[in-house]
Amino acid sequence: MSFDSTYTKELPLVENNPTLRQIDDAILLPTQIKPLKGWWIALGLSATALLIGAVALGLTFYYGIGMWGNNQPVGWAFGIVNFVFWIGIGHAGTLISAILLLFRQKWRTGIARFAEAMTIFAVMTAGIFPVIHTGRPWLAGYLIPLPNQNGVWVNFLSPLLWDVFAVSTYFTISFLFWSIGLIPDIALMRDRATTKIKKTIYSVLSLGWTNSNRNWSNYERAYLILAGISTPLVLSVHSIVSFDFAVSVLPGWHTTIFPPYFVAGAIFSGFGMVSTVLIVVRKAFGLQHIITMNHLDTMNKILLATSTMVGYSYMMEFFIAWYSGNPFEMFAFANRVLGPYNWAWSIMVSCNVLIPQLFWFKKIRRSIPVTLVIVLLVNVGMWFERFVIIVISLHRDFLPSSWGIFYPTITDLSLLLGSFGFFFTFLLLFLKTFPLVSISEVKGVTEGAQPTIHLHPHSNGYPKEKA
Amino acid sequence: MDYQRKPLPKKVGTIGFTLLGLGLILTVISFAVNTQRALFDYLWMFMFMVSIGVGSLGMIAMEYLAGATWSTPFRRVSEFLASIIPLLPILVIPILIGMHSLYHWTHPEAVAADKILQWKSPYLNITFFYIRLAIYFIIWILFLILFLRNSQRQDETGGAESTKKNIKLSAPFAILFLLTLTFAAFDFMMSLEPHWFSTMFGVSYFAGTVLCSFAVATFCTITLGENGYLGKGIRKENYYSFGALMFAFDIFWAYIAFSQYMLIWYADIPEETFWVLMRMKGSWAYASIGLVIFNFVIPFLVLLPRSTKVSPKLLKGISIWLLFAHAYDLYWIIMPSYYKEGFYFGWSELGAMMLAVGIIITVFRYRASRTNLVPIRDPKLESGLNFHLN
Amino acid sequence: MIKNLINKIKEFDSSADVEKRSNKLFGFAALYNTPNEVIEAAASVAGKGYQKFDAYSPYPLHGMDSAMGLGKTKVGYFAFTFGITGTFLALLMIGWMNGIDFQNIIGGKPFFSLPPSIPITFEVTVLLTGISATLGMLIIFNKLPKINSPLNDTDFMKNVTSDKYGIVINADDELFDENDTKNLLLSTGAYSIDNIYYRESNLTTKTPIFEKKFIMAIILTAIATAVISYFTLNWVLYDTQPFDWMWLQKRIDSQSESNFFPNKFGMREPVNGTVARGFMPYEYKGMPDSMVKLLSNPLPISKKVLERGQDRFNIFCSPCHGYQGDGEGRLRGQFPKPPTLHSEKVRNWTDGNIYHVITNGQNVMPSYAEQVSRDDRWAIIHYIRSLQRSHNASDSDLPK
Repeated sequence: MSFDSTYTKELPLVENNPTLRQIDDAILLPTQIKPLKGWWIALGLSATALLIGAVALGLTFYYGIGMWGNNQPVGWAFGIVNFVFWIGIGHAGTLISAILLLFRQKWRTGIARFAEAMTIFAVMTAGIFPVIHTGRPWLAGYLIPLPNQNGVWVNFLSPLLWDVFAVSTYFTISFLFWSIGLIPDIALMRDRATTKIKKTIYSVLSLGWTNSNRNWSNYERAYLILAGISTPLVLSVHSIVSFDFAVSVLPGWHTTIFPPYFVAGAIFSGFGMVSTVLIVVRKAFGLQHIITMNHLDTMNKILLATSTMVGYSYMMEFFIAWYSGNPFEMFAFANRVLGPYNWAWSIMVSCNVLIPQLFWFKKIRRSIPVTLVIVLLVNVGMWFERFVIIVISLHRDFLPSSWGIFYPTITDLSLLLGSFGFFFTFLLLFLKTFPLVSISEVKGVTEGAQPTIHLHPHSNGYPKEKA
Repeated sequence: MDYQRKPLPKKVGTIGFTLLGLGLILTVISFAVNTQRALFDYLWMFMFMVSIGVGSLGMIAMEYLAGATWSTPFRRVSEFLASIIPLLPILVIPILIGMHSLYHWTHPEAVAADKILQWKSPYLNITFFYIRLAIYFIIWILFLILFLRNSQRQDETGGAESTKKNIKLSAPFAILFLLTLTFAAFDFMMSLEPHWFSTMFGVSYFAGTVLCSFAVATFCTITLGENGYLGKGIRKENYYSFGALMFAFDIFWAYIAFSQYMLIWYADIPEETFWVLMRMKGSWAYASIGLVIFNFVIPFLVLLPRSTKVSPKLLKGISIWLLFAHAYDLYWIIMPSYYKEGFYFGWSELGAMMLAVGIIITVFRYRASRTNLVPIRDPKLESGLNFHLN
Repeated sequence: MIKNLINKIKEFDSSADVEKRSNKLFGFAALYNTPNEVIEAAASVAGKGYQKFDAYSPYPLHGMDSAMGLGKTKVGYFAFTFGITGTFLALLMIGWMNGIDFQNIIGGKPFFSLPPSIPITFEVTVLLTGISATLGMLIIFNKLPKINSPLNDTDFMKNVTSDKYGIVINADDELFDENDTKNLLLSTGAYSIDNIYYRESNLTTKTPIFEKKFIMAIILTAIATAVISYFTLNWVLYDTQPFDWMWLQKRIDSQSESNFFPNKFGMREPVNGTVARGFMPYEYKGMPDSMVKLLSNPLPISKKVLERGQDRFNIFCSPCHGYQGDGEGRLRGQFPKPPTLHSEKVRNWTDGNIYHVITNGQNVMPSYAEQVSRDDRWAIIHYIRSLQRSHNASDSDLPK
């Protein structure tokens, strides 16, 4: 929560004190007008990237995983790096929509919808990679415990299977959360629709929502339950992703701090991505009074906090690697700093831990250009963190005779580019189709939106006294 | 707000002194009978006091840092609890004297025969241990003094100046808090088994500490509030966040504990598993299962419904429960190094516990008799009292 | 033609869509300007004893539940029930699938144990809680979807979804009286009161969901989906190999022709005189019995050897020769009965003769060289000898 200088009054969450109808107009504007030029350019770019990725994907399907650079000893590389990266991006959305809701952080209303949408698209993007990494994606049905004529069941001891459950649950719950949040806003769009087709579509999508208080009452409770279960869910998802590595015995992978460390990193990278896009969007759609400077400031503070947690984990890993007295552990970490991939490690540490420390200064937190640069670097740094963990740990393990170096192929790079194209194409389409800020939630936190009195049913005529 | 300062009843002091006296007697006897056992018990209770003292200081910093208002009316309680920190350097003395009975790595002949201990000796040596302890205590005491001075000055001056100062202090302290707690946990508890290591250990002690400090603050606040020591503005709803946060951190504790256990179980590397196996030996196995039920399952089920979090009675009960649960957790971490054959709890352990509780109550009463129990002129107080659930 | 179509769509799109309303009153809808007004109004309407009324606001109003005198919502219990069910279902699923039905040793772990089952149990719990909370809230508690509610498509609704607050008192409330109710609403400070009438479709049809056609359509769709997905999944999972040339790569199978070598053999022949490692050729192959007699049993007799011989004999020989070697095997009647092994002839054979027969076969008996190793053959012979002795025992064989 942000306060004014006397710490007695919270700063308004929506600036310039607009009327409720002005909020409707401002937020719904992008869905009602013809797309702007900039939107078309952005869509063109991301669709091109998507196309490149699609070609690379087709080649991978046709020729097999041999098109990628991973080979022994680096059996996991870009595919898994991208998977972990995109899953991590999703976590900021759930954090903003669920955890901050539980902590009664009202500023979340301005950015929650948008971040939730990012969660959904990021999880979709992430989900592609493990499936294509199997090499035979048409056999993915075997990941689901369904009776089959081969009489086999899935292996519940495998963390990779936990991933299947975690990611699909995460997607489902995030999608439910996002869609029930949309219902009241779609009801508003229905009532503002001027043409019959739009009205029919919105009527169906809004399920005939009427804003009645009996409905709100159940709605809020269900929303709270979803937030309550999303919070441990979001912890579990990235923890399970971390189990993929940590249950092994490979130095650099097997360390007990992995679960919280991955979660902190995921939130960190997710906030980086949300900030990156948000800075552009609020400017492009003229929503500076709803997604205010205070929002960016608070998000930068969270970035700083999570960056520090990530730094703490790096430090713990190094300290315990030394403290353990295990030569393989020590080598794995020395190899990060001094080995052939030390450039990747340096990028990781500087982008994730050192540069975000600039956010200690209020001036930098509230400067949009500097923030944009830093959050872009955070995205880069967090991608490299996964690269460091996966590739560097694999390329030199116990047996020096089987060391090797990983070189990405053009297919690898195209798939990475394509994943960004996939994500941003969906995001751009979302921005045009649905309100990117939750209108009903923002209205609920404007000044004077909530009643100042608390009453119970009474029969003594029209009451004047206030409780 | 409507606040009349009331001194705590004499009963509190009597309880405190009685516990302190009984605990002291039992502890002295215990030292005379079996020094090593007494030292382990003492270490256990020392860590419990670190949890409460330093954890409460961390809570204060968290309130400032997060801009939370709900906890502002109750901040003094945490401040009083944190006031046991200056005693910690004194209380640690028996541990330093009896170090050889506690820590295997302090024996030069053991180190000489053990390659791994030799490797660790740049960290695990007595001089550096002393230096580290000095650093922890200096940091804790320094921040305690600064926080409390600013907070108490505000009672006279009012205004936002002190709040701003404390916010500035909170940011560096949050980092130092995490680091000092982590390394204190390594030094005091992880090095009991000097061969064992876990990167998660600091986080797991942190989780327990935060849970414990919320629990103790909940208990004290509700007891004081119900008896009218915190003024008249406090309603049931004000306690809601205590319940919510205890619930959250209880789950967090379980999450951390489970992750650590599962990863060690799954990888099955002997250099890690032996620590867990020590806690599976003999009756320790039941104690381990009991820990899960006592520390997670029951508090989880009790705190799950919303109605618990607005019921002061239930909150008080579960906060006491969680305090014992944290003591249980620490016992489970520390004592298998002494009771190697099986779980045991006897009069000596009880004595240590009485001593610790006695010290905490006495310090609390001493501080409470000299300061307002509510930060009456804190600018955030009003919005804290206005906390509404919906 | 396409132009025509587009025009038609446009025409449809811009046509007025106000469904005819009947004369039957649904209720009074009052509008208010501020949240405090509507809270006070709700409290007094509830205080008068009205049951079938509701408040409307663009966002949830804090304190409205208590003003309306609503009880606590039950969504939580509903979701909790499903969540707990999920927990146990997941544990049962894992326990049965991996612990009982399909046991595999993975990394030396038990077939079923709790720690690695917790992640999936947790996910399933969360999944069921979330789905049940959402669907329960929408369908069971809020009775949605209800697109043709009389309130939709009214000016009242357009106001309360945007920036006004409203109260609707239903006409079927027991206390409803056109004058009294209107006066009550006026006295609470409503700035406008509308009469809302039922749609004609509300009165003629009950709930569209329970119409026969609709239910039939749902059932048919469900069957079609199930059938299509069953066959598609089967096809995808078992019958296709979209890009199968990694699997079906070119290679020369044994016994097939190859143009690489001049003699067109796919397989290579061993160099003359070479013997595979661990293989000793049988040097008496095809030789007369007189030569074979030179073979002697290299195995010393011991209990272990006899037990081994009994074991092998019972597996390989007894089906035809019978457990006693008397030719009363389990296959009698289906196979020519072999002569007894206790005949004078066999008893006088040397071990070498028997060995020869086992190795080469005799009459209808095939060679057992592939199935029984050399040592085992000798062990069997020891066992046969002991069988023979037991069937022709003399007094001197009795233990003293």
